[in-house]
Amino acid sequence: MPSFPILQRSSEEKILYSDRLTLERQKLTVCPIIDGEEHLRLLNFQHNFITRIQNISNLQRLIFLDLYDNQIEEISGLSTLRSLRVLLLGKNRIKKISNLENLKSLDVLDLHGNQISKIENVSHLCDLRVLNLARNLLSHVDNLNGLDSLTELNLRHNQITFVRDVDNLPCLQRLFLSFNNISTFESVCCLADSTSLSDITFDGNPIAQESWYKHTILQNMMQLRQLDMKRITEEERRMASVIAKKEEEKKRESQKQSLLKEKKRLTINNVARKWDLQQHRVTSIAANQDRKDSDSPSQDPCQVDGSTISAFPEETGSLDSALSNALQGLSVTDTHLVEVDGDTLSLYGSGALESLDRNWSVQTAGMVTTVSFTFIEFDEIVQVLPKLKIKFPNSLHLKFKETNLVMLQQFNALAQLRRIDQLTIDPQGNPVVSFTLWKYYVLFRLSHFSMQKINGTEVTQNDMIMAERLFGILAHVASSELPQYRLISILGDARKKQFRYLLETKGKKPGVVSEENNDSKRLVGENTNRATLNYTTRDFYNEKLEEIKEKKKFCKMYIEDLVKEATEINMKNEALQKLWPQMFIELVRDAVIEIRNKSSYMKLCLQQITDQK
Amino acid sequence: MDPGVSSAQRHVLTYMEDAVCQLLENKEDISQYGIARFFTEYFNSVCQGTHILFREFSFIQATPHNRASFLRAFWRCFRTVGKNGDLLTMKEYHCLLQLLCPDFPLELTQKAARIVLMDDAMDCLMSFSDFLFAFQIQFYYSEFLESVAAIYQDLLSGKNPNTVIVPTSSSGQHRQRPALGEASMLEGVEASLFYQCLENLCDRHKYSCPPPALVKEVLSNVQRLTFYGFLVALSKHHGINQALGALPDKGDLMHDPAMDEELERLLAQVPGLVNSVTASSEASCLPSRTPPRVGSPWRPLHHARKVDAESDGSTEETDESET
Repeated sequence: MPSFPILQRSSEEKILYSDRLTLERQKLTVCPIIDGEEHLRLLNFQHNFITRIQNISNLQRLIFLDLYDNQIEEISGLSTLRSLRVLLLGKNRIKKISNLENLKSLDVLDLHGNQISKIENVSHLCDLRVLNLARNLLSHVDNLNGLDSLTELNLRHNQITFVRDVDNLPCLQRLFLSFNNISTFESVCCLADSTSLSDITFDGNPIAQESWYKHTILQNMMQLRQLDMKRITEEERRMASVIAKKEEEKKRESQKQSLLKEKKRLTINNVARKWDLQQHRVTSIAANQDRKDSDSPSQDPCQVDGSTISAFPEETGSLDSALSNALQGLSVTDTHLVEVDGDTLSLYGSGALESLDRNWSVQTAGMVTTVSFTFIEFDEIVQVLPKLKIKFPNSLHLKFKETNLVMLQQFNALAQLRRIDQLTIDPQGNPVVSFTLWKYYVLFRLSHFSMQKINGTEVTQNDMIMAERLFGILAHVASSELPQYRLISILGDARKKQFRYLLETKGKKPGVVSEENNDSKRLVGENTNRATLNYTTRDFYNEKLEEIKEKKKFCKMYIEDLVKEATEINMKNEALQKLWPQMFIELVRDAVIEIRNKSSYMKLCLQQITDQK
Repeated sequence: MDPGVSSAQRHVLTYMEDAVCQLLENKEDISQYGIARFFTEYFNSVCQGTHILFREFSFIQATPHNRASFLRAFWRCFRTVGKNGDLLTMKEYHCLLQLLCPDFPLELTQKAARIVLMDDAMDCLMSFSDFLFAFQIQFYYSEFLESVAAIYQDLLSGKNPNTVIVPTSSSGQHRQRPALGEASMLEGVEASLFYQCLENLCDRHKYSCPPPALVKEVLSNVQRLTFYGFLVALSKHHGINQALGALPDKGDLMHDPAMDEELERLLAQVPGLVNSVTASSEASCLPSRTPPRVGSPWRPLHHARKVDAESDGSTEETDESET
């Protein structure tokens, strides 16, 4: 039997302090056997070197046991102390919470400053009010069911990253989580569901450094009265609510934005692919299908909404439906894209040209100064230029990319606009840019616009001079050397097209028509010498040629008939020439014969005259 | 049609047909100032060579005079490009051609470029004069060249081409690449034999051929020659150029004093050089413009424009009647 010191008090002490015994700082290494003190209620062993709890099983009336600052490695030897209410085991070397099964009356359990890594074996302590686990090795908090009376839980100075089950503590009012490792609210989100919490600390956690810390906590834990030991004011609460709302809005907005951007990107990709196909750049349709499948899950128009939403992480249900509703409202389809972004109108795909017919508000349309065309055939753009002129009168900068500009002549079509300050022709998809002379031709043909920039470079005086020098004679020839009727018919053609469009809109905007009248008048006057340089799209041109064929056939036949007639007449004339001398002689002879007999001739003449009556 | 009709007479008919066609096309505009005037104007422009401006290719190709006029017009309009020293690609020259004739076929330009470049490097740059002279030969004598190509192929393969050859549409041109390493060790064909065939061709054919005497000159300098060698020689021969009469000599290609004068006048009007010509002032463009060379009973250009402007300014009813 190991020998334990035996403690015996004098009877005077026993009577004076019958229910309490203090053995502080006694340099004890073991618990002594305490004899004859069965009424003991408070026992104090603070600041000793005790390694095991022993020899106190006979003190069954013990209510208060203090073993603070010892060297105890394991909780044991307490199974008989059914009345124990306060157990202080702070600053020991306890690694595990155990052997507390019988201590059902426990009110305060202090285990701070130990080496405990897990909360366990406490669910039966239904009367426990205070639990102190500060300065331990806890990495998380869970398993808290059963502590139905717990009011205060001290978890300071641990390594806690997440907290769970706190909402199972119906009485918990104070929760101290200072100096742990909590960085997001999600990791402690159960706190929001705890209606009893009024006091909480998070200082010393990474979360407390975040800009959204205070208002997120306040917004999610409306029941709180103190945060980090400071009273929460009404003002703070209000601010938190406002900020939280704003953040939510912002999040929703940015989600919407990224959804839109994604959709836009997909649409533009689709338009680009269609364009490539059209330009016969993609070798086979089969290859194209493969590419389509690998690039994005589905390009099917009716599925676009579904696929793009699924590309984003799951959101709460309400957010999702709001966004999908927003999507319905957009006028984006799979085949083309129209976007107005402040001062720029961007059109992708030929279907986008129809959007020029829409009723644009005067304000929106007035703000647009740049119009950008991508993946649309230039010939198709030419046909809507009159509309552009009317609907977007302030558009001064035109941009073309992948529009199949191949001939210098196509630039002639831009002359009909009111004004262009800047022109950007992207080399991609516009072979005309590879020509040495293209800029000069543009400057020459559109000299009446006094353009300032082409493809980002300023237009200099020298450029203008060079342009005129290169093509000035062309203009001169095109105006003064053309026969009059050709001049009028060419100019008439161009003006007729403009008027045709204007007459179509005449019903809607009568005022505009007369303005256009003056405008085109002025236009024709400005650059007469190059006004004959027009551009007719290939299709129109071929149409015209077809129409002319009939006329040509008719003319040919007509001329042939005329020639035949002329030849016949000529032949007859020649024949007459040959026959005439003989005929003349016969005529004279007949006349002479007739007159030979004067009297009978006179009689014949008189007869003729009376016959006439 | 009477087969005895000479080619000159036939071409007159072509112009008559075209004139009537133009009349039909523009009857509303022309009826304003009279049919007799129209015909006078038309034939004047035919004489001057301005009738082919901005017309369709089928018309430009129709007669030798049209072709020569077109060549001359091209030269006059784009001489400045050549003078500037720019070297352009075949595609760009084609673009310039299209400015004058919207449906000019790329094929012809390509063939002309082949004459200059002698091989398949079709992206090479060419000088204005090289291109122009080669283009002249290719365009003016296109049918002749096709027949020559056929003859050349036959000679290469050893057949006797003195029988009648009917050139198929474009197969002649495609066979132009003489396959090297064929039976003949020497390149090309023998010049004198070649000349005999060509002489026959010129006699027989109704489309224009270069004067046989000059062709003989070209062929007499060499023993053997290739097809492209022949074409290049043709394009560089001064005599043939002069016989054609469309373009000046190579040395004078960049000279055109009348046009240069005109150009200086235009340059003087470039905005910024003169005291700023704002967009709204119309008058500045006009007075210095020389009246059309027709120099005639016609109202000068700006006057006609004013007339139109006045009619445009009238009520909307008249606008409607225009369509």
